[in-house]
Amino acid sequence: MTAEARTADARTAEARTTRTRTAGARTAQVHPIDPVTTEIIRCALLQAAEDMNTTLIRSAYTPTIYEAKDCAVALLDRDHHVLGQSSGLPIFLGNLEECTRATERMYGAEVWRPGDVWLLNDSYIGGTHLNDVTVYAPIFSGEGGSEELIGFAASRAHWIDMGSKDPGGSMDSTTIYQEGLRMGPLKVYEAGEPCELTHQLIATNVRFPQPTLGDMRAQVACARTGARRLTEIVERWGTGTVLAARDAIFAQTERLEREQIAAIPDGTYEATGHLDNDGIDLGTPLRVTVRVEIAGERMTVDVTDCAEQATGPVNCGAAQTVAACRVGYKLLVSGEVPLNGGSFRPLEVLTRPGTMLAAVEPAACQYYYSHLGLVIDLVVRALAPAVPERAAAASYGDSMIVQLTGTDPRTGKLFVSQEATVGGWGAWDAQDGESCLINNVNGSLRDMPVEVLETLFPVRVEEYTVRTDSGGAGRTRGGNGVVRQYRFAADQKLSLWWERSVTPAWGLFGGEDGTPPRVTLNPGTPDERSLLKANALAVRAGDVLRCESGGGGGYGPAAERAADAVREDVRQGLLTPGAAVSAYGSGERETSGG
Amino acid sequence: MTYRVAMDIGGTFTDVVAYDEERGTFAAAKAATTPADLAEGVFAALGRAVESPGDISFFVHGTTQGLNALLERKGARVLLLASAGMRDVYHIARGNRDRMFDLKYRKPTPLVDRSATAEAGGRLDSRGTETEPLDERAVRAAAARARDEGFDAVAVCLLFAYANPAHELRAGEILREELGDDVLVVLSHQVAREWREYERTSSAVLEAYTGPVVRGYLNRIEDRFAARGLTVPVQVMQSSGGIVNASFARVHPLQTLLSGPVGGTMGGTAAGALLGRPNAICVDMGGTSFDVSLVLDGRPDVSSEGAADGFPVLMPLVNLHTIGAGGGSLAYAEAGGLRVGPESAGAVPGPACYGRGGTRATVTDANVVLGRVDPDWFAGGHMTLDTGAAHTAVASLANELGLETGELASGICDVANAKMAQAIRTLTVEHGREPREFVLLAFGGAGPVHAAALARELGIDEVVVPRFPGAFSAWGMLGTEVRRDLVRQFFTPGDALDGAAMSGALGSLETEARHALAEQGVPAERRRVEHAVDMRYEGQDYTLTVPLSGAGEPADEGFGAEAARRFAALHARRYGHATPEAPVEFVTLRTTAFGGLPGMTPEPYAPEPAPGGAAAATVKRVTFDGTAHDTPVLRREHLAPGTHVPGPAVVVEATSTTVIPPDSAATVDPNGFLVLKIGAAA
Repeated sequence: MTAEARTADARTAEARTTRTRTAGARTAQVHPIDPVTTEIIRCALLQAAEDMNTTLIRSAYTPTIYEAKDCAVALLDRDHHVLGQSSGLPIFLGNLEECTRATERMYGAEVWRPGDVWLLNDSYIGGTHLNDVTVYAPIFSGEGGSEELIGFAASRAHWIDMGSKDPGGSMDSTTIYQEGLRMGPLKVYEAGEPCELTHQLIATNVRFPQPTLGDMRAQVACARTGARRLTEIVERWGTGTVLAARDAIFAQTERLEREQIAAIPDGTYEATGHLDNDGIDLGTPLRVTVRVEIAGERMTVDVTDCAEQATGPVNCGAAQTVAACRVGYKLLVSGEVPLNGGSFRPLEVLTRPGTMLAAVEPAACQYYYSHLGLVIDLVVRALAPAVPERAAAASYGDSMIVQLTGTDPRTGKLFVSQEATVGGWGAWDAQDGESCLINNVNGSLRDMPVEVLETLFPVRVEEYTVRTDSGGAGRTRGGNGVVRQYRFAADQKLSLWWERSVTPAWGLFGGEDGTPPRVTLNPGTPDERSLLKANALAVRAGDVLRCESGGGGGYGPAAERAADAVREDVRQGLLTPGAAVSAYGSGERETSGG
Repeated sequence: MTYRVAMDIGGTFTDVVAYDEERGTFAAAKAATTPADLAEGVFAALGRAVESPGDISFFVHGTTQGLNALLERKGARVLLLASAGMRDVYHIARGNRDRMFDLKYRKPTPLVDRSATAEAGGRLDSRGTETEPLDERAVRAAAARARDEGFDAVAVCLLFAYANPAHELRAGEILREELGDDVLVVLSHQVAREWREYERTSSAVLEAYTGPVVRGYLNRIEDRFAARGLTVPVQVMQSSGGIVNASFARVHPLQTLLSGPVGGTMGGTAAGALLGRPNAICVDMGGTSFDVSLVLDGRPDVSSEGAADGFPVLMPLVNLHTIGAGGGSLAYAEAGGLRVGPESAGAVPGPACYGRGGTRATVTDANVVLGRVDPDWFAGGHMTLDTGAAHTAVASLANELGLETGELASGICDVANAKMAQAIRTLTVEHGREPREFVLLAFGGAGPVHAAALARELGIDEVVVPRFPGAFSAWGMLGTEVRRDLVRQFFTPGDALDGAAMSGALGSLETEARHALAEQGVPAERRRVEHAVDMRYEGQDYTLTVPLSGAGEPADEGFGAEAARRFAALHARRYGHATPEAPVEFVTLRTTAFGGLPGMTPEPYAPEPAPGGAAAATVKRVTFDGTAHDTPVLRREHLAPGTHVPGPAVVVEATSTTVIPPDSAATVDPNGFLVLKIGAAA
């Protein structure tokens, strides 16, 4: 059915498809290298990336970076291959090099000079929204005119405001020009000295110049750490040895990944899901179909068959779509294995320019990640029949943003509070999914303590509990979502970005879907109103907002769930007795079980 | 004869170090730990160091009782009482995850079942003002449930109790009234008077879960010692690196949770002071473990919060970083490459040379192949190593990788050293420092084996192996102080600071802290109180602790600007940049009271006379940088202060082995410490 429906498009899609394949490394001169030296250099490169990450996180100004870890760092070789990477957010995986490549494409290799630092946030190059700014610096060894380019240090971090039409970013932008300052490759330091004009340009365009420039300085410090570490490594071992080690390391990674893919049965696998809408036209879901082909040691992910780029801000540059496919690939193929230039060589990603997954100017990109979460989940969904023991049912799926802005009557100051909401994750063959866990795309983000939230903002939290019965039933069940109920203590503006009601967390192999999300304003009153998206909606002191996030999907038929597991869920209050009967068949199983 | 005695009750051995107050000498002894009845091992070890408990003038020990109960999930049955609507805060656990590419992530299983949580109505606002009275009936219902269902403890965590403890105090009153002394009642604000309800709940639950075990243990050990004639109070090491007496520890048992290994860091602090080196990297490496901690500017690196087995805990604790798996790290081949760790052979089967069935090569096996560990003198002769098994394990992997056995053995050590050194460098980078500012202090059975190589990797030129490297944690406990930490949330934007109110709050903390020292018998002239305040830039979440000159300082004119200046300087030191003009926030007040112990004046170290007069007992072939060298093996107890030992050499003693590579040399200092100069060949 799906295959038939897409035949007509397929030919045109084929013609305009962009293929993204990880390039092979330039082969070093034959230089014998032993496994011991290779391993020492491999560990040193990984640790260099960790040191960069530590420098960035410890010196950043805004919680988005050091708390939400909305950042990533990479150490690259002269050919833009990853030598070491450390990622806070999974979706920043393996595409920082797009920035150094693009710069070199535009200005030639001679543009790199010692002591220079660059930045870039163009969505159509980096793939993300404008808030994600990549800062990168060339690294040279030697000095006094005999410098030789040996690589690059790069970091990407989320800046809290780019001067978009609404503070912190809009939920209803329709072109990128509403989303703030967009910068192509731009020098911020030249020969070690700050470029005052660039700093001035940024400072006059963003709402919070001090912390923003503070974060930029943290990224520059991070680049310097990377440069120092790579120089030390090259000076200790010599360029020839480091290049030989690099080739050996990349070959090891590639071999590991090829072995993992070869273990997956050949075939074409497909999965389809929908975003609820683009935030502007709330009635039109946006489809994404992921086709995964396994052929021997190779994997191709084709996402050309998806909605055209949307009016609302749900588009992203192709680079981020590639990153999302790599996350899905990594979840099933290489797990927590460190990433380098040998990673993803067996993976090819097909995107189609002009779709919301490979957007072109002037598409709005602020909420570029909702469908990336969906793409990741769909890659897993597609391959689940091939690797049932590696896969899991779907999770609740998106960040479920609650944003409050206004003036705090206690201080007279402007405030912005933005929270992501936890939810249920999918079950797998051996265990139930986790409840109340942050979504895949948000990395290691922690929720906001009620005591801190109420101190900083004019709002109260009346309830923060597990959303009973929301996990999909199954042999192993999905995790439960959460209930977070707010009462506003002052008039303010409410923005919501909640997703995945059209395609809630799906079950696998006969497991049930999780319950979709629900947000209610003033529940149980004549003013009661359900909504999942809102942009700067006026709410009054005393209004109540009840947010219920979705549960994860179940795995395997519910009828096969052990009776004592059902009973235990009821005892722990995770399942009501009524739901135990309706989802798991019979009350008798409960009583006869033990 | 009178002795000061310190004891470290570890998982395998109980170590004792005794200081003879009349002679000014130290002695160490050990016995196997006896988990079924710890007292057996304790008194066996003690008997090897002092004649009678009646001779002891001071007794301190580190205990892992609470931690073991936690790790083995054998703690108390706890009922959790939370504010209405908040029963799941403990289970939601802030919803974060620490593995990014894991579809199958699970949070640590909570110590309290969801079914064992209850709620009580009543609410305070963020300033501590009551907006809804406490529902006392709900509290009584929880008490009835605790009684009926046989709970051992009730942990209470109500929102904003740090701002105003009235509701928690009233709930505590009701619970004690209903339950008597049979059920332990823990109030969150008494465990940690700080904001963040999940972390405070977790701390209260940990105290409730481990408290009854720790109390029972302290009662038993005090009784046993009293029965044997001990006349002084039993002192206990705290996670903060300070000590408290047992009566105090019974009231605040959580403070002892991570007390075992911190003695090593306190020893590092004391040794650093003797050496005139304020910054030290303390490396504690055992057969299957590798812990690193730092001494910074003469003080142990202490954090105001941390984690125990995945659960956050709000209390001061010495930062111990467990890195890899030390000597137990497994070497293996992956995609044609060599890997060393992080997977460990553990204690069972352990390295192949332990002869307990392990067949895979570990770092310890590589050391045996290279001749760096003496197979006949491992763990002071308590254990004999199977050299053949070590060779077989390393040779088999060497074959797989196309290397010679010796080449691979060197390679395994080189990779392990490089990884450990890199992890250490990252720790110092987190503090904004470079490793070469530090002295490397090596202890544990295997620390001194690797220390010289680690130092070389880090660019450190001096390594110190203290006396009793295998019992160093116990030695460290003798050099510490009584310590009591108090905190108070004091959140205010910098421009709204009420300096007099802050001074007032610090003043009452100081009174409380001095009272705690008095209660423990610390005389007034040895009491010292320090104050500090956690600060941050507006919008930040992490804080830095800024020292204050005294409780009265915030009331001084211009304090706000001075504090901001101090904070900016700390920020620049730690992170490399600061924004002096940016608005700051004050977050938490921290007051610490120290009670100094009477000083020790040890005599200069004197070696034991060597039986035959000759210090160099044997010469062995040991491999360094791929070449086998004739290497003297010396017994440490025969080396007098001033003795110069050029590398290559191996120095063995009862609890450890020190390897001195060819490019280095060691000297015995007046304390009896081995001081290695790296790259300073004789």
